[in-house]
Amino acid sequence: MLLARVEGNLTATRKHSSFEGWRLVICQPISRDGQAEGVPQVAIDSLGAGMHQRVIISSDGSAARIAVGDSKSPARWMIVGIVDEVNPGTTALEDSVA
Amino acid sequence: MRLGAVIGRVTLSVTVPGLEGARWLVVSPFTREHFQQGSVPLPGVSKDPSLVVYDALGGGTGDTVGFVEGREAAQPFEVAPPIDAVTAALVDSVYYQPKPSS
Repeated sequence: MLLARVEGNLTATRKHSSFEGWRLVICQPISRDGQAEGVPQVAIDSLGAGMHQRVIISSDGSAARIAVGDSKSPARWMIVGIVDEVNPGTTALEDSVA
Repeated sequence: MRLGAVIGRVTLSVTVPGLEGARWLVVSPFTREHFQQGSVPLPGVSKDPSLVVYDALGGGTGDTVGFVEGREAAQPFEVAPPIDAVTAALVDSVYYQPKPSS
C-alpha cells in the first residue's frame, strides 16, 4: 500500500465492463512530507476522495476484484482509505491549493 | 492502472496457444511530466521504457490508454495466457491538477 495524493480523475467510455460506474482517480504516490514519488497510478475509488486529499492505495488485485464484484476484472489499484494524519510528518488532511 | 500513449502496433505470425489473433499495442507510459503537460502531448517518447500491451478494446496509434500490469492482466481470460499487461480503458479525457508547489 502506498501513501498518495489525489491529483485528478479521468473518463473513459470504452473500458473493461467491471469499471462501469466506478470513479477512476489519478493518485500520485507521495512521501511522508508530500513530495511526489514515482509515477501516478489510476485507482478505483468508492470512498469519494477529494482533490488533493491524501489517501492510501492498495495494489491488491484480489481485493479489487471482490470490490468491483467481477472475478474477471483486471482491476488492481484501489483507494482503501482517506488519511487523517501522518506521524511524524504532517497533520494536514490535504495539501492546500494556492 | 497506468496511463500511456499508443505509439504503434505489433502483429505476430507465430504465437503460443490462446493468443492467436490478439491485438497488441506499443505503449509509451506517461510519467509525472506528461500529466503536468496537460492536453498538449510531450514530444517524443517517455523516458520510461515502452511496453507491448494486449488490447481487447480497439485502441489505435495516438490514443491514450489505461493499462494494467502484473498478474491482474491475465484475469479477464478463462485460461490465463502468458501476458502481463492489458488495456483496461480507452481514455476520453483526463482532468489533472497537481499540487501547485510540487
